[in-house]
Amino acid sequence: MSTDIKLDPALPPADNERSAMGRRLSGLGGNAREYGIFGALVLIVLLFQILTDGKLLKPNNVVALFQQNAYVMILAIGMVMVIVAGHIDLSVGSVVAFVGGVVAVSMRDWGLNWVVAVLIGLALGALVGAWQGYWVAYVGVPAFIVTLAGMLIFRGLALVVVSETIAGLPNSFIKIATGSVPNWLGFIGKMDVVTLVIGGLAIAAFAIAQFRARASMRKHALQVEPTGAFVAKIVGVGVAIGFLSVILSMSAGGMPIVLIICGVLIVAYSFLMGRTVFGRHIYAIGGNRPAAALSGVNTKRVDFLIFVNIGLLSGAAAIVTTARTGAALAAAGNGFELDAIAACFIGGAAVTGGIGRISGAIVGALIMGVLNMGLSILSVDPSWQQAIKGLVLLFAVAFDLINKRRAGTS
Amino acid sequence: MIAVGVGDSVHATPTTRGAQDVTTPVPPPPLLSMRGISKNFGAVEALVGVDLDVHAHEVVALVGDNGAGKSTLAKMVAGAITPDTGLIEIDGEPTVIPTPGAAHALGVATVFQDLALCDNLDVTSNLFLGREARVGPLRDDGYMEATARRVLDSLTSRIPSVRSQLSTLSAGQRQTVAIARTLIGDPRLVVLDEPTAALSVAATAEVLTHIERLREMGLGVILISHNMMDVLAVADRIVVLRHGRNNGVFDAATTSHEQILAAITGATSRRQSRMHALR
Ligand SMILES: Nc1ncnc2c1ncn2[C@@H]1O[C@H](COP(=O)(O)OP(=O)(O)OP(=O)(O)O)[C@@H](O)[C@H]1O
Ligand SMILES: [Mg+2]
Repeated sequence: MSTDIKLDPALPPADNERSAMGRRLSGLGGNAREYGIFGALVLIVLLFQILTDGKLLKPNNVVALFQQNAYVMILAIGMVMVIVAGHIDLSVGSVVAFVGGVVAVSMRDWGLNWVVAVLIGLALGALVGAWQGYWVAYVGVPAFIVTLAGMLIFRGLALVVVSETIAGLPNSFIKIATGSVPNWLGFIGKMDVVTLVIGGLAIAAFAIAQFRARASMRKHALQVEPTGAFVAKIVGVGVAIGFLSVILSMSAGGMPIVLIICGVLIVAYSFLMGRTVFGRHIYAIGGNRPAAALSGVNTKRVDFLIFVNIGLLSGAAAIVTTARTGAALAAAGNGFELDAIAACFIGGAAVTGGIGRISGAIVGALIMGVLNMGLSILSVDPSWQQAIKGLVLLFAVAFDLINKRRAGTS
Repeated sequence: MIAVGVGDSVHATPTTRGAQDVTTPVPPPPLLSMRGISKNFGAVEALVGVDLDVHAHEVVALVGDNGAGKSTLAKMVAGAITPDTGLIEIDGEPTVIPTPGAAHALGVATVFQDLALCDNLDVTSNLFLGREARVGPLRDDGYMEATARRVLDSLTSRIPSVRSQLSTLSAGQRQTVAIARTLIGDPRLVVLDEPTAALSVAATAEVLTHIERLREMGLGVILISHNMMDVLAVADRIVVLRHGRNNGVFDAATTSHEQILAAITGATSRRQSRMHALR
């Protein structure tokens, strides 16, 4: 026994070398996939920019892109958390219709102020989420069943609430989805200054957050990514945000309000998933639920809260959707669950749970959105659009799997 | 010293308890004391009236055949299973351990037989799972990673990096991570359910040294193992389970391989248990 231990001192140097290399490799691998889907988005944008003779990135089209796809981004945020935890939510489309109906009724029939109506919508969404979360977390009914039931229940309730289309909603409410931030600061040439300032602030915030994270790693004497990659990341993201701000600033209205809403949600939830204990527990549950429970993670509570959360976000999506239509329809939100789920899987989430990121889901949502818009500009028949989107989903996931397999064997 | 014969213990638990009184003449309350623990899984009697004591500064080995109920008992201490009947005392205080979180709060750290690790997380995340360090509302990732590195360095582990995703580690490396988890926080009682099953000779020796260090630090250790060499090397007492029942407590210093094997397989007690059944 003791002779075996004496062998050890010879090992550490070799070990350290291996560990440094392993660290570098694993760091690269983690980022490569992320850069991969982002690269795919850029490619698709360029492709359609060429195919549409530059119409795709016309400022007003870009604004429309965000306004039309805000609901997918909002739902995809909640959905990726559900999927990472190893569940699924099929009910979000029906919940959007139901909550949208109640919000519209509360303004038109009960004469409530639009702000109160928005709060009611969010609260009702969270309540619906709590209902479904209760069955999933505390009774143990599989989420697939609970939310399949929810899909029927809330579509039915939506039909009850919205027996006929509820139109004539207040203008301030409709502005949530169709309005822009006022051009308070005037224009530079054709460019709205408010939009540029917001873009600049976003770049600065991103850079500061990155620097602070790096400084904190350094403080604990931990390995950080190479300076070149670090700078490239900040410059890359900075250029992308800057480019987008310039385009948006030349649109008819400037910065769309929904984009601000989505941006705040993306940052907040990326933080929640990436930096908090709660986020870590979501990944742990998705990776190995019994192990997480044995380690002291309150798995039931996490499951419950994930569903409350996607209910809340469905409420937000309902508000955005109802505002964009300017009316509540019983058929609203049809197929939204599929859009959100597709966005998550295109964005790299694993069907088995445990893997997936907010940023990936957002990029997935944007890929679908750009496809929609590009194909529409090219006046491709909607039936074909659907077929093409299906193929993209299939290829994206297959590509990811093949990549992973190759990385695993090399 | 005292070795309770296999045959004696079949009759009743009092004999066993009497023997322990001799081993510890001055009785400070044991760190952990389990009395009359029973657990059924449907028709399966996993544990029937089992007693177990662990003192501070003591390594207690829990041995028995496959399915004897060792892991079930370990999971009770870890808060993953609650007994149907029986009493658990910690420092002489009757205690219930309803959840793994409660066990952790009581100072129990456990390496489960199936390791209970998350493949999709990195080494640091696994070490701190369920007990993450925080700064305000956020995780203190820097502190956790630095601590993880220190802990793994202290084990001269062959883990490539604390940032390695667990799915990329070998079975032995994963087991090392599971063992390293017991070094996080300040446990008083460490439960190791077959901690060396996948380890090399050198790594096993290291774990045994580690167990001895835990005892020197004044912790109580429950070691479950099928390797009698390891058990005899580090344990102070050896508790044998057979078909979910106590089947003897042995002093490791004075007991041979064969005696323990006999208690595990029930070789010498077969006639008496049959008589017992006839009564
Ligand atoms: N969750 C469970 N459901 C049903 N039966 C169980 C469960 N856990 C354990 N058992 C049964 O309880 C008995 C004791 O199992 P346990 O895992 O404690 O054995 P063990 O002594 O750890 O065996 P091994 O040496 O193989 O690890 C076995 O008969 C087993 O089938
Ligand atoms: Mg076992």
